[in-house]
Amino acid sequence: MFLQQLVNGLTIGGIYAMIAVGYTMIYGVIQLINFAHGEIYMLGAFFAFTFISFLGLPFYAAFLLSMACCAVCGMLLDIFAYRPLRQSPRLAALITAIGMSIFLQNLAMVIWGSRPKPFPQGALPAYFEETAVTFSGVSLSWFHLFIFAITLMMMIGLNLIIQKTRWGKAMRAVAQNKTMAALTGINVNRVISYTFALAGSLGGAAGIMVGAYYNSLYPTMGYIAGVKAFAAAVLGGIGSVPGAMLGGVVLGVAEALGAGYLSSLYRDGISYAVMIIVIILIPAGLFGKLIKETKKSM
Amino acid sequence: MRNKRTFLFAGLVLALALVFGFTTGAMAANIKIGVAAPYTGNLASYGDNIKAGVSLKLQEINDAGGINGQKVELVWGDDLCQPKDAGTVGAKFAADKSIVAVIGHLCSSATLAAMPIYVRNGMPTISPTSTNPTIGDVGKGWFFRNCYTDDFQGKYLASYVVPKLLGKNKVAIFYENNDYAIGLKDSFVAGAQESGVTVTGAEAYMTGTTDFTPQLTKLMADKPEAIFLCGYHPEGALIAGQGRKLGFDGPLFGADGIDNVDYINIAGKAAENTYCTVPFLAQSAGPAGQDFAVRFKKSAGRDVDWMSANAYDCLGILAQVIGKVGPDRKKIRDGLAAINSEATGYKGVTGLTYFDEKGNCSKPAFVKLVKGGEFVAAE
Repeated sequence: MFLQQLVNGLTIGGIYAMIAVGYTMIYGVIQLINFAHGEIYMLGAFFAFTFISFLGLPFYAAFLLSMACCAVCGMLLDIFAYRPLRQSPRLAALITAIGMSIFLQNLAMVIWGSRPKPFPQGALPAYFEETAVTFSGVSLSWFHLFIFAITLMMMIGLNLIIQKTRWGKAMRAVAQNKTMAALTGINVNRVISYTFALAGSLGGAAGIMVGAYYNSLYPTMGYIAGVKAFAAAVLGGIGSVPGAMLGGVVLGVAEALGAGYLSSLYRDGISYAVMIIVIILIPAGLFGKLIKETKKSM
Repeated sequence: MRNKRTFLFAGLVLALALVFGFTTGAMAANIKIGVAAPYTGNLASYGDNIKAGVSLKLQEINDAGGINGQKVELVWGDDLCQPKDAGTVGAKFAADKSIVAVIGHLCSSATLAAMPIYVRNGMPTISPTSTNPTIGDVGKGWFFRNCYTDDFQGKYLASYVVPKLLGKNKVAIFYENNDYAIGLKDSFVAGAQESGVTVTGAEAYMTGTTDFTPQLTKLMADKPEAIFLCGYHPEGALIAGQGRKLGFDGPLFGADGIDNVDYINIAGKAAENTYCTVPFLAQSAGPAGQDFAVRFKKSAGRDVDWMSANAYDCLGILAQVIGKVGPDRKKIRDGLAAINSEATGYKGVTGLTYFDEKGNCSKPAFVKLVKGGEFVAAE
């Protein structure tokens, strides 16, 4: 049973990792916890649902198109809600983030209704249901493998973008020091928009996979996933992308093992307890850096 | 100028008084009944059922001229199936003196939260769907219901459905962390002890959980023959889907909370071979019930379900009582309490209804089965 629980944990953990990475990237560039990120994840699932049900697109096309739409949504979120408050106190942007989260939840309720919706039947490729691999009593379906593969690919892809491309370098520069980055000729606003787009597309991909795997979409699904992913990002060190990935997996596995071996009623409590313990022992999170408060003159 | 202003002001006051006078006059002519259920949110489909059932009865009553010449008006209270919102709805209904009775609430936890308010304010309440056994004690004579209680339903599942209908003996339970499910689970476990059914494990979950794979893995390690979906249909559907994915092929069974078309919509193929107990089944109902099923199909455009049938009868019972005693809260309560034997019972589409001193009634249970993508009678 341990292996099966581990597989369960890695599946949930991969999803949390993808959403957590979005939180951490945005915190890195503008020091804002984007509470509306959970809603981008929810919108990803609903976009895919709409594309498949109403436009009749095949699954993979809907997946990619949905990710693109979420990227756009992320950018719009930045342009309308956060950019006007760039020079304002951090609290204003935080409240706006919470407000956007509530707004998007209710917008989704207005557009799609508040009842849970099933992912369209027959939309997923038929072989997803079949077992691909069996070992020591654990069976993995092709869908499991798909989720693992996508999660892994996205993590590696994101790492490549951040480390090896010019845009990635610009993002790291903006995260380090916005003013200096602007002085070296980087268009800071555009880099921030790009970060939002990247974070949004990952969140959207996570949403589609969750919606398809659990077969249930509802407008408030972003809230609880967002809170868990935020906890994962903090556990891994907010601002650090590898930290968020690791944090997500750790949280997912802790949740699955806790639910399996300790108590399923308190599974959420167990995963948050793990986060609290890690933060107490390592205050900056697993990969984070403690930054001393310095007086900013600009 | 001053004269003109005074004249205009007086004219405005007069106009307002006329408007208010007419509207309050109109309002006093309508008998208002509150209907509390979740109309938005996760369990909105239950609220739709209640709405469809009472709306059909409302139309029939008003088309026939109302009750003693007064038309009936329904006031909707959305309680989201949450105790907190149920309290708000209860306070609102109780404070509105023109509301003479309440049909509701739907969820047992909501009813338990609202009943103290109704008792304090003397509001007669009749629930079509709340099955938790303890509500009768909290109700202190102001609560009535025309559905069976969970101590009957749990025992029925444990002593008849599982061993005799399904022919299974080892059961794993998945129960939701609310009053309805905990009460149902307790009475099932008690009944299972008597009938020799083994409960291999019981796992609780919070409302809104979407991932049940860790708990399912844990329960399936003990190799149960059937899984009890002791909760509402959104989570039940998810458990069914994930259980099948993890390789469980035995039958699933649940109680009245599972009987909803959304269960089949969300669970898809995984819903096959799910049994559930319900208070009303059109195919097994007498001629009144079957006639109602036809009228309901015409008015709501879909097949009748037990919640709509019970809600329809609730309004019918209230209409009969109000017709006899008039729109007064205390008199309505006394009138409902007077329906206490077979002779005085109400003959509705769900059969004969009469209440004991706690407001409970005894009704038979029926079993439905999901076969071929839809609910059919199991026997």
